[in-house]
Amino acid sequence: MNVIINEEGEKALVKLEGRIDTTNADQFMKDITPLLNGAHTEIDMDCADMEYTSSQGLRMFLMLQKNVASRGAKLVLRNMRPHVKEVFDITGFSHIITIL
Amino acid sequence: MSVKKNFASRLSLYVLLISAGLMLFVSVVFGLFVRSAVRKSAVQLTQKELDNAILDIEKVITEVERAVDNVDWIVEQHRDDEAMVCQVPRELVSANPNIVGSTVAFEPGAFKGRPYFAPFTYVDATSGEIRSIQMGGADYDYPMLDWYQIPKLLGRPYWSEPYYDEGGGEQRMSTYSMPLKDETGAIYGILTADISLEWLSDLVRSIKPYEHSYTLMVGRNGAYIAHPDSAKVLNETVFTSALEMRDTTAMTIARHLLAGERGMLRFDNDGTDSFAVFAPLSNGWALALICSDMDIFRNAYVVNFVLGALLLLGLLGLFFGCRRIVRRQTMPIVEFSNAALTIAKGNFKARIPEVSTRDELLTLRNSLDYMQRSINDYIAELKSTTASNERYESELSIARDIQMSMLPKAFELKGNCDFYAMVQPAREVGGDLYDFIEAGGSLYFLVGDVSGKGVPAALFMAITRAAFRFIGALGLPMAEVMRRVNNCLCDGNQNEMFVTIFAGKIDLKTGRMDYCNAGHNPILVVHPDGKAAYLRARPNLAAGLFENFPYQDETIDLEPGTRLVLYTDGVTEAEQADKKQFGEDRLLEWAAGLTPDASAKAAVIDLYARVKRFTDGADQNDDITLLSVLWNPATKTIQE
Repeated sequence: MNVIINEEGEKALVKLEGRIDTTNADQFMKDITPLLNGAHTEIDMDCADMEYTSSQGLRMFLMLQKNVASRGAKLVLRNMRPHVKEVFDITGFSHIITIL
Repeated sequence: MSVKKNFASRLSLYVLLISAGLMLFVSVVFGLFVRSAVRKSAVQLTQKELDNAILDIEKVITEVERAVDNVDWIVEQHRDDEAMVCQVPRELVSANPNIVGSTVAFEPGAFKGRPYFAPFTYVDATSGEIRSIQMGGADYDYPMLDWYQIPKLLGRPYWSEPYYDEGGGEQRMSTYSMPLKDETGAIYGILTADISLEWLSDLVRSIKPYEHSYTLMVGRNGAYIAHPDSAKVLNETVFTSALEMRDTTAMTIARHLLAGERGMLRFDNDGTDSFAVFAPLSNGWALALICSDMDIFRNAYVVNFVLGALLLLGLLGLFFGCRRIVRRQTMPIVEFSNAALTIAKGNFKARIPEVSTRDELLTLRNSLDYMQRSINDYIAELKSTTASNERYESELSIARDIQMSMLPKAFELKGNCDFYAMVQPAREVGGDLYDFIEAGGSLYFLVGDVSGKGVPAALFMAITRAAFRFIGALGLPMAEVMRRVNNCLCDGNQNEMFVTIFAGKIDLKTGRMDYCNAGHNPILVVHPDGKAAYLRARPNLAAGLFENFPYQDETIDLEPGTRLVLYTDGVTEAEQADKKQFGEDRLLEWAAGLTPDASAKAAVIDLYARVKRFTDGADQNDDITLLSVLWNPATKTIQE
């Protein structure tokens, strides 16, 4: 799992690569910690290379979403692969996280 | 033990090789030095011998010359006195043992007008008597012979080349001839003295400083006067010998000899490395002494041999001594090795041998000691960790029992409804759950999957199950049950744990089912005709995330014989070793192939077996939960 964060002013461009599963969910949490400090008004995540997410991963997205929502900022996930999108749909996470 | 494997032997061998090399070098240098010194002293010795011999020979020659010179005046004063003249050679022979013959030969007509007058006195070789005769005559025209002609022509005394006297002495001889001159200087006769060369051969033969050395003497023309091989004397010259030799140095020596030079030269004497010292005699003859290297170095060879033997003995002593010392010095290493092996075999308290020296061995010993203590510390820690792990595992095992006991095991037939469920956690405890409750004429049931795994998931699962059990028993509408369960889970859920739930409520009279999906996988519906399909329910949202989320339920009327299959994603995402997943399609395929009248239990067990066959021993990576409901089965099935 790789998390690549590029900052453009108050906007964070994030690229996610690989699998998020039980073995690396904690690491993923650490990797996205810089996004939780409130510095960004918009977080744009490119999920084109994200292969899989477990329910642990969903929790991380949810924490991020709640953190972002609490300060009136925006979180957007893009280019999600269909079988990953399906996980977000089934669990209803598509309702609370913006997936484009 | 071979030399290669034995440290002491190997080290000793190295020392031995280095020592042997050094000793060889020293020996060679020493040998060369000794050789040079020995040769120098040998040359000095032989030259001295040669000089002594020359002195001896010169003494004889001088005596003969002097004796002749001394009687010269007698002939001069008594030139006409026949008796006196005849007395002179007789006196010379009898008074001088070296002189074996003598004559006073007059010029033709010079003695009283006689054509020949030459009284000759000689020592008879066989009897030893002194005899006198008159020489000269038609058959012995002495004035024409060399011994007479050459001194007469030279006008001075002359030593003849050696010759073999066949007439009288039958021996090798040389003649000293002195011209007799009158007042005017005119030569009127020749006074001679013959000397035997036999004694010369003996003398020359006696010059033998070394066992195989030999001396030779040559005349002015190179003919051998004396030679160890007496056949060569007077028959061969030094040149004919030199010509037969491979080494051209022999010829050079021959030339030096004839030139009357002193010196020393080394040469190959027909296969024997030799050297020759040579020196001239005053009368033009020359002596050469020849020695072989073998002779002069014989003692040096003995010394070298003894030295070599001693060195060899010394080296052997060095080798064994060195090996013994190294072995003794490295003995602690062997002991350390044994101690290390003992430790390695599991005796961690093995005693490490003490060393008395303050060197690398002590360092090694301390290292071993440190290693041993570290291992013991580590083992103690490992024991404590293992004990703690065992405690933890034991607690987990108890937790698993508790968790499993939370899930209903008794499946009683509820009216026309046959149901069965099972959970197989991936670890000791898991986050999956199922439950059944009958309340208000309906059967409430659910399957849930808590996010994550292990103990946190298990705790959240317990909360979920308690909430459902409590709220479900109130007989509320399905959506309301889900809303209340969700609010219950949201309370104090700081870690954003959530649980996906599919819950249903079947009216046991009508077969109408209200269901609510909280972010869970779609369930399978197998119709009485055997057709299977996923029930694509509204996803709502996983429970535990947002308080007061408006969950909505949906309704379906179950035909008799309809079978429901609920599962968690541990089924669809069950993986083979190559990461291939079981998937929804394979699940659908299984459902389509199911025997229509199979009981709920049979269906669940069959599906679980199917999944296990698929994963083929690969590690289970997620909890697996299966639940099946068979509504109003055509054939009644007795539940266990």
